[in-house]
Amino acid sequence: MGVPVGMGTTLNVCTFVTCSQALPSPRRPPPPAASPHPPRKSQRWWLFRVTVQYSFRRTRNPAQFQTAIRDQSYLSYLPPPQDGCSMFRVLRTKLPMMAAVVVAAATLLPRASAAQGSVTVGTLAGSITDAATGAPIAGVTVLVGGTTLVGITNDKGEYTVANIRPGLLAVTAQRIGYRAKNDTVRVAANQRVTKNFVLTATVSTLSEVVVTGVTGNTTRRAQAAVVASLPMGDLARTAPVSNIGEVLQSRLAGVSVNQSSGTAGSSRQIRIRGAASISLSNQPLIFIDGIRVSETQPSAGVGGQLTDRLNDLNPDDIESIEVVKGPAAATLYGADASAGVIQIITKKGKVGTNSFTQTLRMDASTIDQNWKAPSNFGNCTAALIAPTSVNPLCRGQALNTLVEDNPLERVNAFRDGSERNIGWTGRGGGNNYGYFLSATSDATEGTLPNNAFSRIGFRSNVNLVPDARFKLDVGFNVLQSKTVQPDNDNNIYGWLGGALLGSPTTRRDDGLPGQDGFFGFARQFDAIKGIENAVETRRSQFTLAANYQPTAWFSNRFTVGADLARDEITRFFPRNVPQQYAGNLNTGDNTQTRVGSDRFTIDYLGSMRRSFGSEGQFGANLSGGFQAIVSRTDVQTANGFGFTTNAANSIDNASTRTGGQNFNEQKALGYLGELQLSNQDRRFIQLGARIDQNSSFGEGAPSFFLPKVGASWVISEERFFDGLTGILPQVRLRAAWGTTGRAPTPGASLTTFSAAPFAITGSSQAGAIPLNPGNDSLKAERGTEIEFGMDVTTFGDRLNAELTYFNKNTKDLLLARQLPPSLGFLANPFANIGEVSNSGIELTLTAQMLRMTNLNWEVRFGGNTLNNELVSLGGVNAFGTTNRFTEGFQLGTVVTKTIRSIDETTGRVVVADTLESFGNILPTREWNLTNTFTVAKNFRFSALIDSKTGFNVFNNTDFFRETQLVRSDNRLNPTKLSRRERLRRYGNDTPGQPAFVQQNGTPTTVNEVREAYIQKGDFIRLREVSVSYTLPAKLTAKLGPITGGTITFAGQNLALWTDYLGPDPEVTSNAGAQFSREEFLTLPNPRRFVFKTNFTF
Amino acid sequence: MTAIQRIVRRGALVALSGLSLAGCSDFLTVSNPNVINASAINPVNDAATLAASAQQNFSVMHGWFAMYQSWSTGEALVAETFPTRNEYGRREVLNTNGSHNGDVWQPISVALASASAVLNLTLPSPTSNVSYARAATFKGYSFLYMAESFCVGAANGGGPLTPAQMLDSAVVSLTRAISIGAANATPDGVQLANIARVGLARAQLQAGRSAEAIAAARAVPAGFVFNIATIDDPAQRTRLGNRLWQFTLDRGSITVAPAYRITDDPRIRFKSPAQHNLAPQDPASGAFFIQDKYPAFNTPLRLASKLEADYIEAEATGTAAQLAFIAARRAANNQPVYAGSQAASDVLTEFLNQKGRDFYLEAKRMGDLRRRPANVTNLPVAGAAYFKPGFAPIGNQTCWPLPLQETDNNLNFPRS
Repeated sequence: MGVPVGMGTTLNVCTFVTCSQALPSPRRPPPPAASPHPPRKSQRWWLFRVTVQYSFRRTRNPAQFQTAIRDQSYLSYLPPPQDGCSMFRVLRTKLPMMAAVVVAAATLLPRASAAQGSVTVGTLAGSITDAATGAPIAGVTVLVGGTTLVGITNDKGEYTVANIRPGLLAVTAQRIGYRAKNDTVRVAANQRVTKNFVLTATVSTLSEVVVTGVTGNTTRRAQAAVVASLPMGDLARTAPVSNIGEVLQSRLAGVSVNQSSGTAGSSRQIRIRGAASISLSNQPLIFIDGIRVSETQPSAGVGGQLTDRLNDLNPDDIESIEVVKGPAAATLYGADASAGVIQIITKKGKVGTNSFTQTLRMDASTIDQNWKAPSNFGNCTAALIAPTSVNPLCRGQALNTLVEDNPLERVNAFRDGSERNIGWTGRGGGNNYGYFLSATSDATEGTLPNNAFSRIGFRSNVNLVPDARFKLDVGFNVLQSKTVQPDNDNNIYGWLGGALLGSPTTRRDDGLPGQDGFFGFARQFDAIKGIENAVETRRSQFTLAANYQPTAWFSNRFTVGADLARDEITRFFPRNVPQQYAGNLNTGDNTQTRVGSDRFTIDYLGSMRRSFGSEGQFGANLSGGFQAIVSRTDVQTANGFGFTTNAANSIDNASTRTGGQNFNEQKALGYLGELQLSNQDRRFIQLGARIDQNSSFGEGAPSFFLPKVGASWVISEERFFDGLTGILPQVRLRAAWGTTGRAPTPGASLTTFSAAPFAITGSSQAGAIPLNPGNDSLKAERGTEIEFGMDVTTFGDRLNAELTYFNKNTKDLLLARQLPPSLGFLANPFANIGEVSNSGIELTLTAQMLRMTNLNWEVRFGGNTLNNELVSLGGVNAFGTTNRFTEGFQLGTVVTKTIRSIDETTGRVVVADTLESFGNILPTREWNLTNTFTVAKNFRFSALIDSKTGFNVFNNTDFFRETQLVRSDNRLNPTKLSRRERLRRYGNDTPGQPAFVQQNGTPTTVNEVREAYIQKGDFIRLREVSVSYTLPAKLTAKLGPITGGTITFAGQNLALWTDYLGPDPEVTSNAGAQFSREEFLTLPNPRRFVFKTNFTF
Repeated sequence: MTAIQRIVRRGALVALSGLSLAGCSDFLTVSNPNVINASAINPVNDAATLAASAQQNFSVMHGWFAMYQSWSTGEALVAETFPTRNEYGRREVLNTNGSHNGDVWQPISVALASASAVLNLTLPSPTSNVSYARAATFKGYSFLYMAESFCVGAANGGGPLTPAQMLDSAVVSLTRAISIGAANATPDGVQLANIARVGLARAQLQAGRSAEAIAAARAVPAGFVFNIATIDDPAQRTRLGNRLWQFTLDRGSITVAPAYRITDDPRIRFKSPAQHNLAPQDPASGAFFIQDKYPAFNTPLRLASKLEADYIEAEATGTAAQLAFIAARRAANNQPVYAGSQAASDVLTEFLNQKGRDFYLEAKRMGDLRRRPANVTNLPVAGAAYFKPGFAPIGNQTCWPLPLQETDNNLNFPRS
């Protein structure tokens, strides 16, 4: 049944969701040829169709629309739903085509609307300049009040907004870095009205618009909880960044980004305001334009490194990134958002500008490892020094001579890596449509021979504004990436494992197979290089967002979208004769994994705004809606070994083949509402709540209620503050409290068995053994956060400070409660026990140190502290043997039996009786500092320094090379370390004496006394330096079609100051581990120099 | 149309949109074919499957024990790099050892718990149900292996168990298995009863109850042998394949200890480096002498036999019986006549030496060591340097500790 809407149009609510009870219709409607007019049985129609139809009817040109729609016959053939909730299935299969149809429709609609626009609408245009310099300002957003219309200035500072209904309108011009300006303008039909703005630069951020964490766009002054905003601006053009991880690295206070290794294409670990969960992911959720996308980090199984979905995205596509840091702001993201939310907002078209601009970006980088691997040492034996010895290092030497070998250096394993990125964007629009198109082709070669990353992507964002009240955004992104990963980390087939664990005593020059200084038999350069590992991803993302604002005070936003990812993962060991690997791998072994990760989002939000009192003294914004997210993962694996040739290595050609498959699905449904009250646009109160259900909680689980409350007060605009405004022109106080959660993995609540075949009679049969006792009362972790702070602008509007204190407390901790193995379950059940707290202070400073016509100096500082503590384990004993979870300590503190005393005379080393927490693994203090100088308007110099302190790294590389496989001269050269240090590291070497003795007299070994290898990871890194030159207008005028350009030379990872004894305190050998700060044969981050060019046409 | 009407209508649109989604009552229903929901298991109808799965769990555990015991008792050397596995070779296994928990303690716990779960089912014909017999047999063996290898045990989340308690539990289960198996009277039931008889004799011997051991051993029929079946399923090698071969071929972990590189005894089968092309994972372990007793993934492992029952009977009977048995075993395997000391201890040493050869890599050596620590030879020598450089000297363990994962999380254990 339909609900009448204005202008005689009928909207059909059951088209939003497919209710089987209401839709007993046939599977397919009749073909359009038999019915020139679309049937009125609109239950079979989708929202998408209805909105397009509706928007067209608003154009009052139905004939033209009908023709257009009939041409897209697919619209009439959209299959009806098959069951009560099949919309997601239909979306998965049909959305790509739907998107294509909408894009096609987009090309038709503007003509229709343009025709009628000449009759009843007007146009607003103008230019926007800087008050101090008079220079045009690009990227200013011009908002037309009461409509969905938006204009954006081009490089010349010009904007146009078409299709405006005649009347007196409020207009706002705003851009980050400038004080927003409001004005009114009267637009008449068929007229082009000019409205110019002059904006004053400011370091204040109160007029910024935030789109994340709130129900609808809100200026920062009204936002009670901090939502960090990172506008891309010039970043992609002038900073040495080529992926989102690098964009986020060290730019936002409270957002800790850690590059896991120096391998090109590897993942980053992102932690926002610490870690709140022990068993669940602490990675934030990722949204792109309101659609939740996959956060998985697939891997070929190369030892410890993963790939990263964030690497797939093209920085050129991004307008800005907003980070919702904690529950206080993330409440509306529901029961899975306690680790924070990253919202990526892509660039959109420029509606109403009648313009088209293109950019072409070309980057070239050189990457050098900037690290010398440590040498291996060994003592020559009698056999090795003999004249007949095949060992060239020992032959002819004295007995026990300490010889040295560096396999990586000897075989020139490292190469100069390179990066070549090319990107094109096209952006523009007509009267009532806009578009942003981009294409990119990027390729990186890492510093190891079998390491590469490549990415090809295309994005199309089309905006249709057929009417001032209606806006339709259609986004379509397809990409393909490929990461070729080298083996490394905790992996005997790795480069560093092969080289750093080898021994010079195995060198030989007789040409026969052997180790020849490497770790593995016959596993040298070619053998390690020969292992193929690749993760190839094809990904499609679709977004359809409809904004309908029937009145100035009532707006509706409906968003539907999908992220469909397909991974092809290869791990291939080539067939070889010299037995380079182990067992069947030497016959050729190919593992192929196919991963399908689909995620669908449907989101509706209605918002009603009203002003009350004289001159709108009071304001109210009441919003409500729902969000449904479905995630599915399907993994299929095939393995084959025994190949005739390495070229013909498809699984079918293997002599022995196996396969596997698994699938899981998770659904979440939430209803949300928010009331924002304002007074005089300077006092704000927000009340909000969300009710969530999640399939992971099991059937019958109660809904999860998530409330929030917040207040913001621009105190500097109060009369009593007048005396201080000279010193403090803008001061805002804010406080927020909110709750979010974290949902467990699918099926976590169930009592389950694991398929476990038996072959007790010599043939395999299906069997089952207990897997998980489950927990049917499972619920989401409940993260509650209170934060308060202040934003201050001072020093003549030159310094802006944002100071925030947060205290995030996670209760009902979902802990994979470790069962005693004697219970016989293979998996630990989740239980809601325990409590974790994260608290700290965040400070962001933006200072215009110099603001002169030909010299600008801007300083940005971001810093935070973090106090992470496991408050309670709910009665469970401390657990963990390397990283331990103990009440009163940070999560995952690294433990050891600490040394109590060292007696250098007797060699006796006394240690604690039990494992004791020895150091944090999460940095307790982080800061970053960016200095940017702009000289003569066109030269820009920028340097970014960052630091992490208060954390420790387990240097397992040195531990292993000194205490397990003895390869280090620290151990083999008795004079290199002091006696005390030798005792500290290796214990008592007196024959017959235990290496270490506990206080209770029990002997123990170095495996439990790793104090010397748990090293402070504190560092300061010169992360980025860049020099940019912006082509002046005089020059571009002579360059034909080029209207602007930037040339940049930049460096990344240029210097590192640290006391850590390993190569790089940032890397970790187990990128997927929640709590591990261990460096074990992990490639350090390389140094990179990049030459970037960016031209506008 | 009034403003109120418009508000109502548009509000209704919003509400209906939300409600229509809520109306999909099955929205949160998901498919998750990865796991077997316990509710889908029928305890009675699926009892045979669960019992067979429990037996396979024991087989898995047995493979692990054969390998780890070989390192701890000097049958083999650790030819790989894992520090955790080298702790076995050094006879100094720590309670923090991850391999110890994952490869040794967890498998024996799963074997024991899964067998116990079957015994807790209410099944028809309880005095002759072969699923009960199977579960009781392997529950009993699990207790037996735990008692032979662990200093302190635990079962089903209970408190600490002494070796005597573990052996008593083994005796109870194995006695029940014999009773039910015999009553079942099918070939399967009879075989299970005989396996249990060997196990019972072994448990009684370990407990120091010689008469009971002899009685149980004598009840084992002549010629009885039970081998744990293995198959070569590439996708299930860790569960269904021969563990000793897996860790020889795939990981290069096991090299035959020098004391067992005996070329004239058919009971110790191995290959020298010249006879194969495999490499040890850790080259520091020296020349790679691979075991050849289990040359394939589908080579079975012997668990119980009349031969073992005879050894048990002879040991329990005394020196004379042991001497006679030594002579018989030497003669059967082309070894010269024993000419050593006739002193009881020396005879016992030689007796256990012959047993060590007969049951090489069959996971019986830890029990011998535990029972007769002074008479087991070829052990890694306590206090001596480990055969690889850099490691601490060899320790003196005769049994393994419970891993921290058990003592930390078992509420019936004292808090640390």
